[in-house]
Amino acid sequence: MANILVVEDDEIMLKAIKNILSKDGYNVILAKNGKEAFDKLEHADYDLVLSDLMMPYANGLEVISRLRNDPAKKHVSIIIVSSVGNEETITEAFRLGADDYLKKPIMAGELLIRIRKLLANRTVRHSL
Amino acid sequence: MFHWLNWGDVMYFLSGFFEATVYTYGVILLLLYAMLAILSFTNIRLYQKKDSYTDYKVIVGSPLAPGVSVIAPAFNEGLTIIDNVRSLLTFDYPKYEVIIINDGSTDDTLEKVVREFSLEKTDFAYNEKIKTKEVRGIYKSTDEAYAKLIIVDKENGKAKADATNAGINASSFPYFLCTDVDCILHEQTLQRLVRPAMEDETKRVIAVGATLRIANSCEIENGVITKINAPRPFLARFQEMEYIRAFVLGKMGWSLINAVPNVSGGLGMFDKEIVIKAGGYDPASFGEDMELMMRMNRYCYDNKIPSAIRYIPTTLCWTEGPTSLKVFMRQRTRWGRGLYQLMLAHRKMFMNPKYGIVGMVVFPYNFLFELMAPVVEFLGIIYYILLIVYGQVNWPYAIILLIFVYTYSIAISTLAILWDHINAKYYNNIWDVLRVSSMVLIEMLFYHPLIVVFALRGYFFQMINKTHTWGNMQRKGFQKKGAPKPAAA
Amino acid sequence: MWKDLSDLLWQAYEQFGFLPLFIQIALIFIGLAILATLVAYGSILFRRWQGYVYEKRVNFITPKIEDMITEQVLLNEQLGSVPVDDIEFDPVPLSDKIYKKPWVRQIVIDVLIQYRKNFRGEVGDLLRKLYIDMGLPKDSFDKMKTLKWERKIKAVMELTQMDIPISDVTILPLTNSQNPSLRAAARNAYIQLSKNDPFKFFDIATEPLLPWDQLDMFRIITTTKDIQIPNFSRWVSYSTNKSVVSFCLKLIAHYDQKSAIPAVMDLLNNKDHYFRADAITCLGKLSAEMAEVRLVKIYDHQPLICQIEILRAVGQIASGKYLEFLKHEFSYSSNFDIRMNAARAIINHDSDESRVIVNELMNTTYEENRIIIKHCLNPLIK
Repeated sequence: MANILVVEDDEIMLKAIKNILSKDGYNVILAKNGKEAFDKLEHADYDLVLSDLMMPYANGLEVISRLRNDPAKKHVSIIIVSSVGNEETITEAFRLGADDYLKKPIMAGELLIRIRKLLANRTVRHSL
Repeated sequence: MFHWLNWGDVMYFLSGFFEATVYTYGVILLLLYAMLAILSFTNIRLYQKKDSYTDYKVIVGSPLAPGVSVIAPAFNEGLTIIDNVRSLLTFDYPKYEVIIINDGSTDDTLEKVVREFSLEKTDFAYNEKIKTKEVRGIYKSTDEAYAKLIIVDKENGKAKADATNAGINASSFPYFLCTDVDCILHEQTLQRLVRPAMEDETKRVIAVGATLRIANSCEIENGVITKINAPRPFLARFQEMEYIRAFVLGKMGWSLINAVPNVSGGLGMFDKEIVIKAGGYDPASFGEDMELMMRMNRYCYDNKIPSAIRYIPTTLCWTEGPTSLKVFMRQRTRWGRGLYQLMLAHRKMFMNPKYGIVGMVVFPYNFLFELMAPVVEFLGIIYYILLIVYGQVNWPYAIILLIFVYTYSIAISTLAILWDHINAKYYNNIWDVLRVSSMVLIEMLFYHPLIVVFALRGYFFQMINKTHTWGNMQRKGFQKKGAPKPAAA
Repeated sequence: MWKDLSDLLWQAYEQFGFLPLFIQIALIFIGLAILATLVAYGSILFRRWQGYVYEKRVNFITPKIEDMITEQVLLNEQLGSVPVDDIEFDPVPLSDKIYKKPWVRQIVIDVLIQYRKNFRGEVGDLLRKLYIDMGLPKDSFDKMKTLKWERKIKAVMELTQMDIPISDVTILPLTNSQNPSLRAAARNAYIQLSKNDPFKFFDIATEPLLPWDQLDMFRIITTTKDIQIPNFSRWVSYSTNKSVVSFCLKLIAHYDQKSAIPAVMDLLNNKDHYFRADAITCLGKLSAEMAEVRLVKIYDHQPLICQIEILRAVGQIASGKYLEFLKHEFSYSSNFDIRMNAARAIINHDSDESRVIVNELMNTTYEENRIIIKHCLNPLIK
């Protein structure tokens, strides 16, 4: 099953997402801030990264940028989950290469559907 | 009061007059401190109550949040600059930019930043609203992740003021946060500082400040504090205690009655429009933060803008305090000069009803009890020495008075530490508390005399400079930035 | 020395009344200061101990609560297959004795709210159901009856967060409270919970609606589902409360209520120029083409902040009719900000015509203006 890295500084949300995704059978790895995320991205391969925008050490935009600028990780799908609602930031996230953006509060069902869709697209792309 | 009735008439009169003045002075000062303790307690409680239900995430998610430009000058900070910039880029706030001013560093500060953040020189239309030394170039990142970052590269202006002014010129938001690049700021800094500016019903809030602490013994990783520790070095411990007293007890108290004298240069958020209209920071000033505050106040009163300066009790900034006596002396001498300089420059405001509470309370207080305090104390000591030499001391009374001042200062400082605890617990264990609060007991013996002497040294330097060399010479020898000033308690 | 001192104190005690006044005062203050110091140390120790105990309890109980909520809500098997209202919680964990303690119940509320802030949809609804089924609304309502305003606010916010209706009789008096924070919280609650006329107090509010309070109100208006969004131009025309009007301007822009344009244009005659600037900003965001003529016409007599807003608005409306005007301002104004905003406005048009003008200006204008254009064209600078 797909490996998902969840980057989020709100512990409640971190655990909640882990629970929800694990229930659907995903292999979930957690990171509490940008730095942890970078470390974990170094040491394993992920299919999808779910990231908040504002966190200590490095923000979500840097996570996106780092992934998109690394040829080995370019393929990783990125979903931003954040409470930030101003358009500029959302546009920035997409311009940097985020695949999707969910504004908190999120719907758990919707999150799962979007993850499933992104991963499915990816498999299609890969098999082509 | 006069127990030496057999003295000559003149001596009797003079000493009596002097004693009465000093005694009255002392009593007023002590009463003021008591008043501040009560005011600050009220204000801290109010802040806490508001905090008990506030969800700051609301502003983080709001498109209505006002923009803030974070301005941090850097001079030869090559060693730590990357971490510092990174930490400034992680504020929990939706709308801000980070402007780093490379103030003509002679090391690799600029090169490091350019490399790390993929910067390139841009055709930036820089508008020199406040005159500064020449700006050599403005850099932006080609990586969108760092779109918030602006680097202004300029000629060294020998003053933090000049660099900050360049940052103000390049900034694009209505508020700016003034800090030092080596200060470590809390991620909530912007959301918390913006609040007082957004909830005043009648006044325009022109500046907001928060508590500063000493970073010396804290555990820091990549520019973020991972564990707060009370400072270990002796001198730094004294400073920590002094900061707590000055911010938590002093400024929080003044804030309640809108009489804050100064927002510290280490951390303060300002209304950019007013700052520019007031002329920006003065590079020739030794106390540029307080001097600007005075001019902003002046501008507001002259233009009939009801204004306010606010403080919040939360510690949002940790700064490196000097641990060597030499650096400490330089810092405090500088502050002394700054205070003297600005009191002289703005003397027209003294007891001038046109300037409202600033003219009638803030200015007189700072003149009488900040500027004059070291002088009065110094004269008092000389007087006592004379009395001792002539064998005219009434020892029991002298000792009682000494104990009085000593116990009272301990009480006030301990209350400040308690107020700080009421607001939030920063220390992890009781030893840290004792490490700081024990300084209160010996402050009068070690730390306080130093401060008095260094302040007088500053006044003296300022006085001779004034008569002999007016102008650029003033700045020589004081180019190293001292830690930001907590100022008036 | 010590003996002297103790003798002295003893004497002082005996002869206190005969001592000079200043020594009397000093002695009294010494006593008070020592007392204050001791009390302060005592309080510090007590607070730390209290905090320590509370923290320990919280650290012990919070994971349990989180696990319970995870079990009951997040991982609830019925979620998705059964309508939320019909889902029954497992009664065993909920009837645990610990959930009877008030402080535990408060933590449950806080944790539930944390989750609600992160989840809406069915999970959000189920969190609400758990709050109700555990009888927690009563705790919140009880808090509302205390005299402490901050507790009242917390209660109001809890109920609002959980979408629990509060009767008008309870909430309406609070919307006029003397305490600005309580007032703001009550108004927000009213907007979210009142089903018939959520914006009622816009008509009657006389106190300013502070920018800080607008944040939460804006969030609630724009995120509450099934809220009836009115035409905000009503208050723009009739309210005498400036802050309400300026808040309505932001809402008009957010909901792109083009029908409000005439009402907003009426504000252009207002004497307060900050207010006028807000109105112009709003017209720009609405791309109010019909306002363009008027904006350009009044331009010359406006203070700087309004002029800048007009330039921005013309750039957003971008009808192309006033490119010459923008070009003129860019070429001849002595003010840097005006030139900058004029340049931006021209570039914002993003049409063939505007690109021709930009090129032409690049070739003809002087150095500083060229940098301004380059600045505005540079994608790295925003």
